[in-house]
Amino acid sequence: MQWWGWLIVALVVIALIVGVVVAVQARRRRGGVIVDPADPAGSGPGSGES
Amino acid sequence: MRTSAITKRPVVTLDGEDVAQIKDVVYSAGGGAVGGFTLAGRGLFAGPLKQGLAWSSVAALGSDAVMIADEDALEPTQSVLDRSASTGGSGGDILGSQVLTDSGTDLGTVVDVIVEVSGADSGQCDVVGYEVEASQALGTKGTKVLIPLPDAVAASGEHLIVPASAKDFVGQDLAGFGAAVEAFRAQLRGQG
Repeated sequence: MQWWGWLIVALVVIALIVGVVVAVQARRRRGGVIVDPADPAGSGPGSGES
Repeated sequence: MRTSAITKRPVVTLDGEDVAQIKDVVYSAGGGAVGGFTLAGRGLFAGPLKQGLAWSSVAALGSDAVMIADEDALEPTQSVLDRSASTGGSGGDILGSQVLTDSGTDLGTVVDVIVEVSGADSGQCDVVGYEVEASQALGTKGTKVLIPLPDAVAASGEHLIVPASAKDFVGQDLAGFGAAVEAFRAQLRGQG
């Protein structure tokens, strides 16, 4: 494969990784309304994980 | 205002520093009011933060930002959650929970929570209603309607119980909903 072929593959891989990271972090930032957060197992998406 | 309008709102110090954004709204232990917020970082790559924000540390809840005095207003998320925890509940996100009347009628599932800041200088952030996707019992199945809540309300992550008379005060939009909440609560006080 030509050098520019590898360059395109590398750029696509980088773009995919960035896209996945952004999507995962956006999902982790998604908000909700938490009640009675005493039970850590049931605290859902808003458990304050970090 | 709807809690969905609060989440993602930036948290800004009075010095103008943008320190976080709102992630979750946390019900206070007694129910009926907002106890605080969990936070997420700003920017595309930021995730949830270990720091949270108690309602008592909020200087103002504006239409575009949540104002705090300075970064010292932030505290560990776990202490915000612990202070808002009560016993016996299952915990969790109430969005998607089923609303039942105390007579056992399903009113629908929660899609948003309506809060109202009462008193000057951000005195208290009361939870005044639920926005639900209506069930058959309300006669408008599938539409979004607003259900008023009593001053203090039992809430867990599974079922949300409201007085059966709440059905009579269901609203269609936020305009006029405050009056419906007042009338509903006055009726409950009259019964008590």
